[in-house]
Amino acid sequence: MKTKLIIFLVAAALSVSSCKHDEWFDRPSKNLITDEQLWNDPVLITSLLANYYNRLPTMHGVFNTGGMTEMDDAMWSGHRDQNWRNDLHYGDDYGRYWDYGLIRDISVALEGIEQFGGSLTAAQKQLFNAELRFIRASVYFEMVKRMGGVPLVTTQLIYDFSGNPEPLQMPRAKEHEVYDFIFSETEAIKDHLAPNANSRTRANTVTALALQSRSMLYAASIAKYNNLMGAPISTPGGEVGIPASMASDYYQKSLTASRAIMANSNYGLFNANANKGENFYTMLNAKNNGEVIFAKDFQTGVKVHGFTYENIIKGSTEDNESSSALSPSLSFVESFDYLDGSVGTIRDRDQNGNHIVYANPADIFANKDGRLYGTVIYAGTTFKGRNTSIQAGVAVWQDGGYDLRTTSRLGDNYAADGGLWTGFDGPADNQQDVSNTGFYLRKMVSDAAGASARGISANNWWPWYRMGEIYLNAAEAAFELGETGAATTYINTLRERAGFPANSISNLTMDIIRKERRVELAFEDHRYFDLKRWRIAHLVWNGEESDRNAVVYGLYPYRVVRPGHPTNGQYIYQRIRPTRFRRARLFRMANYYASIDQNVLNNNPKIVRNPFN
Amino acid sequence: MKYSSIYLSILTLASLLSMGCEYDNFEAPKSTLSGSIVYEGNPVSVRTGGTRLQLWEDGHALRTPMDVFIDHEGHFSASLFDGTYKLVTNGDAPWSPRNLDTVEVTVRGNTVVDIPVTPYFVLENESFTAAGTTLNAQFAIRRVVPNANVSRVALYVGHSILTDQGRFEHRVEMDAANIQLGQPLSMSTTLPASLANLDYVFVRVGVLSNLSGEYYYSDVQRVNLP
Repeated sequence: MKTKLIIFLVAAALSVSSCKHDEWFDRPSKNLITDEQLWNDPVLITSLLANYYNRLPTMHGVFNTGGMTEMDDAMWSGHRDQNWRNDLHYGDDYGRYWDYGLIRDISVALEGIEQFGGSLTAAQKQLFNAELRFIRASVYFEMVKRMGGVPLVTTQLIYDFSGNPEPLQMPRAKEHEVYDFIFSETEAIKDHLAPNANSRTRANTVTALALQSRSMLYAASIAKYNNLMGAPISTPGGEVGIPASMASDYYQKSLTASRAIMANSNYGLFNANANKGENFYTMLNAKNNGEVIFAKDFQTGVKVHGFTYENIIKGSTEDNESSSALSPSLSFVESFDYLDGSVGTIRDRDQNGNHIVYANPADIFANKDGRLYGTVIYAGTTFKGRNTSIQAGVAVWQDGGYDLRTTSRLGDNYAADGGLWTGFDGPADNQQDVSNTGFYLRKMVSDAAGASARGISANNWWPWYRMGEIYLNAAEAAFELGETGAATTYINTLRERAGFPANSISNLTMDIIRKERRVELAFEDHRYFDLKRWRIAHLVWNGEESDRNAVVYGLYPYRVVRPGHPTNGQYIYQRIRPTRFRRARLFRMANYYASIDQNVLNNNPKIVRNPFN
Repeated sequence: MKYSSIYLSILTLASLLSMGCEYDNFEAPKSTLSGSIVYEGNPVSVRTGGTRLQLWEDGHALRTPMDVFIDHEGHFSASLFDGTYKLVTNGDAPWSPRNLDTVEVTVRGNTVVDIPVTPYFVLENESFTAAGTTLNAQFAIRRVVPNANVSRVALYVGHSILTDQGRFEHRVEMDAANIQLGQPLSMSTTLPASLANLDYVFVRVGVLSNLSGEYYYSDVQRVNLP
C-alpha cells in the first residue's frame, strides 16, 4: 500500500513539473538549422550557393591534369602508376555523367526559398532563384553533352510510400528538348542576374548568355553534322539525335547571344601586352575581368589547386616530387600557323630529308602564332625568368651522319667538348616527371612564388567562359549561317590578338575555324566536346599507329657536335614517338554518347539505352 | 565437464567451417553457349575486343547484361548455367542493324547458335604473297547493302594473329580512286625492317563502310617471308 502511494506521488510530481517547464524543451537547436532559418537568411543561402557553384560539373576542366592527357593534345609523363592514361581504351562509359543528386539539391533550394523565404526581399529571391537555375541549366548542359537527352526533372520527386514508384520514373527527354530547356531557362533568368554584373565567380547576365552561346552552338552542330554522317547516331524516340532542320535556328540563337556579349563594353579580348605570347599567358594567369566571363576562383591559404605542382617545367619546380605530368604533343605545336600565314608544320628537315641546322634552340619556332609561346614551353624560351634547358642530347657528326647520344643524368656535360649533354629539363624518353615530347605546358601553369610547392600551391583561376571562346562561337555560328564576312572579321580579330597582321584570313573555311578553336582553347575542356559535336572524333582518334593526332609525337632538340664545322654547337631536331605513349587513341561510335549505368536502367524501366551499348 | 566443453568448441568450430564451405562454393557453370556470326554460312571476321553481343537473363530483380565479345574470326562462346537467355546484337558493327535484334536461346549443356548478319561489304578471293620485302595482296570487295559506300580500305600487317585496326605493326590504305567494287583489286607495300626480318607475318584486309565505325576484315592469313 505504502509503495503504491509513493509511486503515485512521484508520478504526480513528475507530470506536474514537466507541465510547468514546457519551454525548457522548446529551445532552438544548436546543431540543426531549420528550413525557416535557412531560407530566410541571405548569408546562409549564399554559402549554400557557394557549395553548388563549387559542384559545377566538368569533364576534364578545373585543372584536371590526368583528364587532359587522355583527350587533349598531350600525353601523361608523370608518375608511372598513371601510365594507363597513355594506354587508354575508351570504354562505353567514358565520360558518363548522371548527377540527379545535385539536381535534387537545387530543387530543394528553389522550393525552400519559395515556401519558407518570407522575409527575403523580392530582389533577393529573384537573384537566388536565377543563380540556382543557372547552375541547374549548367548541370543539364553537361549531362546532355555526354549522355544525350536525359529526364528533365525540375521539382523535388517525393515518394508517397504507396508501393508504386511509377510516378517518380521519368522518361528521357529528347536531346533537343534538353537544349531547348537550357535556352528557355537562360532567357528567363538572364535579366534577373544583373545585380551580379561585377562578379566573375557568380553568374551574371553575360554568364547566362555565354552558356547560351556555347550550348546553342553544340545543339546546332549536332543537328547539322550528325545528319551528315553515313549512319546518323540516333534513337527512335529522339533521345539521341537532333533533326537537321533545327540547325539554323540554334546557330542563330548562339550568334545572337555571342553578339550581345561582344556588345557589352565591360568585356573584351585581353590585349594589354605588346608581346603577344606573354599576353596570351597573362590573359589566364592574371585574374583579369575583361577577358574572363566566368571563373572558378582560388585563394592562397583558403582554396588552392595543384595544377602548377603537377605541370611546372622540371627545372623550375619548388617541390621534391611530381612536376611535368603533362607533355603537349608535336601535332598540337604544328597546328599553330606561322605569322606569315603559312601552315605551321615544323621545318626540321629540308626537301631531301636532311636535318636543317638552327643557330639557336628557339629558332625553329620563330615567327609562329603568339599563342604557341603562351600555351607551350619549348626549347630556348624562359619561364619565371629562368632560361629553360630543353635539349635531348648531342648529335655527333660521324661518317656522314648524326649519331644521337643522350644521357639519363639530366644536366650532365658531354665529356668530349665539355658542353651541355642532356638539359636539366630533358626531354627524356621513357622517363617520369620530365617531358617525354620535348614540350611543357605554360598555359595556366602559375609563375607565382611557391605555386609549385605543395605547401602553398597555386591560386590562379579556372576560366569556365572567356571572350576568346565567344569570338570563336560567333565566328562558327556566323559562318554556318552564311555570314562569311562577319565570321572572317571575328576570326581575324582573334588572330590579331595572337600577333597576326590585320585581315590574315581572307578565305575562311570550317577547317580554319576548327584549327583556331584547337589552338585558342587547348586544355580548357573544349577539344573532346568539339570533336564530338562535329562528329569527327572517330576520324581524328582513328586508332592508327601512324596518325599524328591519334598518337602523341614529340620533337627533341640535339646540339650538334662537329668540331671545325660551322654548324658545331648549333641545333637539329628529331621527331620521335614517345615510348610511354602506348596505344593510338581509338574513339568508337559508342563513345559519342556514354552508356547509362545499368542501375539507373534497372530502377527506371522508362529509360532507353544509348545507341551501341 | 571440462572435456565436454573442449569437444563442444571443436564441434562448433567444425560445423562453422563446414557451413562456410557450403556458403561460398558455388559450382561453376558447366554449359557453354557458342557460335559464330555468319554471312552466307561463313564467319564474319571482326576487330578483337571491338564488337560484342550481350546476354540477358530474365527473372531476376535486377538486370545486368553479360558482354560476350566476338573473336577475330567471328566466333563467340560463354560459360553459362542452364536456362533461357536473350542474345542481343548491338554495339557498333560492320553489319547493318538487325530488324529483330533479340534471339531467345535456351541453354542446355553445350548449345551452338549462329547469328546471321548482313555485312555492308564482304571481301572475297583474297590472297597474299611476299616477294623480298614487298607484300602483295589480291582481293575483291562485294557490296551487300545497296546504300552503303566504301570509306576506307586498308591492308594490315602484324606479328601476331590478332591484327586489326586496334593493333597492327604496319598499315597501308588504298587510294580511294582505285577502289572498284566487284573487281579484282591489288595492294602492295614494302614491309618495315621490324617486320621484314621475321620468318612470317600475319596479314588481313579491312573495308570500312560509311555507315559504321568498324571494319569488315578478311580472315587473318599467315604469310611466310622469304
